[in-house]
Amino acid sequence: MEQYLNAPVKEVITKFPKVGKILEEYEIGCVPCNVGSCLLKDVVEIHNLADEEEKEMMARISRVIYPGQEVEIPRTERQGKVRSKELTYSPPMKRLVDEHVLIKKWIALIPQVLEIFDVHSEDDRKIIIEGVNFIRSYADRLHHGKEEDILFKYFDETSDIFKTMLDDHVEGRSHAKATLEALEKRDRQGVVDHLMAYRALLTEHIKKEDEILFPWMDRSLSVKQVGELFSKFNAADDRADQDGIERCEKFVLEIEKKFRKEESK
Amino acid sequence: MSEFGGCPGSRAMDFRKSEVKDEAPTTKVQSQLRQWPIQLHLISPVAPYYQGADVLLTADCVAYALGGFHNDYLKGKSIAIACPKLDEGQEVYVEKIKSWFEDAKINTLTVLIMQVPCCRGLLQLAKQALENSKRKVPVKAVVVGLQGEILSEDWI
Repeated sequence: MEQYLNAPVKEVITKFPKVGKILEEYEIGCVPCNVGSCLLKDVVEIHNLADEEEKEMMARISRVIYPGQEVEIPRTERQGKVRSKELTYSPPMKRLVDEHVLIKKWIALIPQVLEIFDVHSEDDRKIIIEGVNFIRSYADRLHHGKEEDILFKYFDETSDIFKTMLDDHVEGRSHAKATLEALEKRDRQGVVDHLMAYRALLTEHIKKEDEILFPWMDRSLSVKQVGELFSKFNAADDRADQDGIERCEKFVLEIEKKFRKEESK
Repeated sequence: MSEFGGCPGSRAMDFRKSEVKDEAPTTKVQSQLRQWPIQLHLISPVAPYYQGADVLLTADCVAYALGGFHNDYLKGKSIAIACPKLDEGQEVYVEKIKSWFEDAKINTLTVLIMQVPCCRGLLQLAKQALENSKRKVPVKAVVVGLQGEILSEDWI
């Protein structure tokens, strides 16, 4: 079993498709992941299932891999911290989750913005430019900046989980760049494709962080590290361009108001 | 009223039946205490060992209930103890905790309380001090069961 626990999850699922179905039953959504390079044991650990649930799931997986055999299943490593009844975050992690709220507001509005987007209209092009500015200034420089420059440094950045998250950031940047390039060429379809791809990417990325990665990080960080992160995030926010952040917040609120008005017409 | 009724904070309970087997450590457990005094009325919130520190604010009873108190919680931290049920002058406590946040610029505060309802008062004092403080600090609440089990650990 050790051999498969130390194998990339995609490899295990490809070889034993039933394992993917079992993982899905326990809300471990590795099947649709394009990368799938996380090790099975890390995937199990990071999801922090209740003891009994984990035992039951691992027993089912072992029966798929070794039918008719009794296999010893090693227990995943835990941080020994008490499971909280509901999803709660340490103050620095809560700040990142709160920043997600504004990002989610903008990406939720993207389909509506694109539906009536006229590539030849000055006003519509301005909305796209401001939308990409939000992606670059707020979602990337302010938010992903805190993750890459501060938070991820507390972990092994070479592990597959972090590589996946960093790849998402890079892909997001390339969609932002490609959106502006398409806009420049008055290529409506290009703008639509890249902004919609950004939306899909970030929706999944944020869900992974809010529900899996951040709670796992909180379980792994010591009290001292949480305090350090909090101070470093404060310093990063103090250094950030306050007017730029305000402009980003205003942009999302105004777009939200505009489309709410259109909906009620 | 029977001796087993009344306030859960002072109700008599007998744990002898659930006595655990002797688990004598192979070496003597070292104290992790690195300061004196420790009672919240007696400490100065700006003493050197509080500067930038991770601080434990512990209800008096916790260290008796929690078997691994020194190694699991006190190690590497500075401490103050108090009883929110019996101590007088608790408005001074709020000011001292606030001074930890603002003047000693502590890194974190962990409030360790027992599960009995009266112990929540200590957490309330910490919350009040945080609300009054201009400088914010991560505060964690740990609730300890009567027989030393950790019932919850939550950042507030």
